[in-house]
Amino acid sequence: MTKKESAPLIETKNLHKSYFNEQVETPVLFDINLRIDAGEFVAIMGPSGSGKSTLMHILGFLDVPTKGHYHFKGESTEEKTEDELARIRSSSVSFVFQSFNLLPRTSVIDNVTLPLLYHSGTHPSQRREKAMKAIKAVGLTDRATYLSNQLSGGQQQRVAIARALVTEPGVIFADEPTGNLDSAAGKHVMEILQNLHEEGHTIILVTHEKTTAEHAARIIRIMDGRIVADDRTFERRIASQVKELK
Amino acid sequence: MKLRDTVTIALKAVTGNRARSLLTMLGIIIGVGAVVLMTSVGESMQSVILGQISALGPKTVAIWPGKNGPEQGAATLNPDFDSITMNDIEALRRLKTIAYVTPVIFMPGKVKYGTEESDVTVSGTTPDSYINQPIIATEGRLHDEQDELNGRQVAVLGPDTARDLFGNSSPIGKRIDIGNQKFTVIGVLEAKGSQFFQNMDERILVPFETARVASQRSYVDMVGTMATGDIADAINDIQFLLRRRHHIIPPTTGIATDNDDFLVRSAEQAQEILGTVSTSLTAFITMIATVSLVVGGIGIMNIMLVAVTERTREIGLRKALGANRNDILLQFLIEAIVLTLLGGIIGLLLGLGMNALVVGIASKFLERYIFAVNFIAMAAALLMAAGTGLAFGIYPARKAAGLNPIEALRYE
Repeated sequence: MTKKESAPLIETKNLHKSYFNEQVETPVLFDINLRIDAGEFVAIMGPSGSGKSTLMHILGFLDVPTKGHYHFKGESTEEKTEDELARIRSSSVSFVFQSFNLLPRTSVIDNVTLPLLYHSGTHPSQRREKAMKAIKAVGLTDRATYLSNQLSGGQQQRVAIARALVTEPGVIFADEPTGNLDSAAGKHVMEILQNLHEEGHTIILVTHEKTTAEHAARIIRIMDGRIVADDRTFERRIASQVKELK
Repeated sequence: MKLRDTVTIALKAVTGNRARSLLTMLGIIIGVGAVVLMTSVGESMQSVILGQISALGPKTVAIWPGKNGPEQGAATLNPDFDSITMNDIEALRRLKTIAYVTPVIFMPGKVKYGTEESDVTVSGTTPDSYINQPIIATEGRLHDEQDELNGRQVAVLGPDTARDLFGNSSPIGKRIDIGNQKFTVIGVLEAKGSQFFQNMDERILVPFETARVASQRSYVDMVGTMATGDIADAINDIQFLLRRRHHIIPPTTGIATDNDDFLVRSAEQAQEILGTVSTSLTAFITMIATVSLVVGGIGIMNIMLVAVTERTREIGLRKALGANRNDILLQFLIEAIVLTLLGGIIGLLLGLGMNALVVGIASKFLERYIFAVNFIAMAAALLMAAGTGLAFGIYPARKAAGLNPIEALRYE
């Protein structure tokens, strides 16, 4: 076993993030020490303005920390260039957004194919097959040729999940995935995410809702830019609940 | 990302909003269309003129009595211009550098046949002129040395003139009035069309001697001849001879002098002058096209900036999904190039269509006006259109590529 394989998927040490606006420093994250292993289902929970989204952006390589260290799959990410970060986003991470962010007037299959255009590991001839597989995983095979704006909110978010799956990334970041959905659609989306977790996907969920966060096996609470709790006890509780239900 | 994917995305974006794309392309369409149309018209005109020159014979040299400048050359019908005499003709005939010296006298007076009347030009000329400007008779015969020597009252008609006076019946053997004299029609010329905007099918040719006697003149209206070798040598000899005979001081510089009372022009010179005209016309069209393409390019840049703003979220999304700077830069750059190239192609087709229309109309007036295109100009116009897309697309594309993915995703 190499050192890389034994390393955690995500590891941060004393991570700081500040925004600068005309030389005025606004600190957002302080001293974040975090370790997430492959296959975990983690919820980052906190009120609005707590810094949870910023943390997700840094962990998802959309943003860079001001200070501190971030190791991804055992590899330091501090010296990465913009294009190298784009390559990691393309190959190793993917996102599900609150507002779906599907291309309008574009078919479901084309939306799901989109990440593959930037994915060096996929030959153009394999794109369709991969996309259909991802669409099947979210139960929308019969809607594959529909335009994105012909779908309901819940269906659109499922398309977004299919799009996140299609590159078979190491980790899926979901930023308030149920925020724009009614409770039934939101529940369905969370069930899909839970299924994906059970299939072995690493899922990092960002939410301010306790009920949504409770789908995760681990809840990291964040407040005013600091981690205030890292609760793994849910893991057992959820497990017992599942047992009871069964 | 593959280039093919980028082009597909660009085509989708361009065809997604057809009305706007078309309006954006308008400047390019007009620019390229104008270039294609104008260069095609130029090409057709040039082929017409070249055809006329080759019909005339490139070695043809004409001498007119008159002052400097082709405008004054047209004043040959003025009877005051009596500078070229019969003795000059005899002297010219002795020059080795020219052959077939054919003097021309225009005969005054109306042409009549029965009640039909015509204002057609009647030229008295020697049979050598049929060699000079090669032409044959389609009916009857041309006049010959015998007609010339005897000063016979015979006439050869251009095909249009024959039709004007005689309709569909044969004019051979019929007698027509020219001024107050009777002439017998002996032949009809083959159709030649226009030469230098003059209808060569509307004329009457009579023996030179007959015209000279009838007009009682010792000077001529024009002399046609043909260089036996180098045209410049022929012109030099003609000028030297006529200046000496007319006691004109030769110029110290250049080829002509204000003192000359005659003009010498060759078909080749005419070709050169037309060449100069066509070159300046091309320069003018290029200038207009450039202005039009620059204006079109600014339109493209404007709409591409709007597109970048409108699609900020899309750019953010693409970046989040793994697109790098170059992917986004290329996407918008290629979109601009696709816009301009598509505009260029539409403009090209439009220009060709308009040209076909022009050809349809012009060929009714100009015999040899045919459909011609300048492929180099067409290729250059398309290339310039694509270049415009590249030049004016780079700023919006760079702007798009430089967007921060998080801010772009948050953009409302």
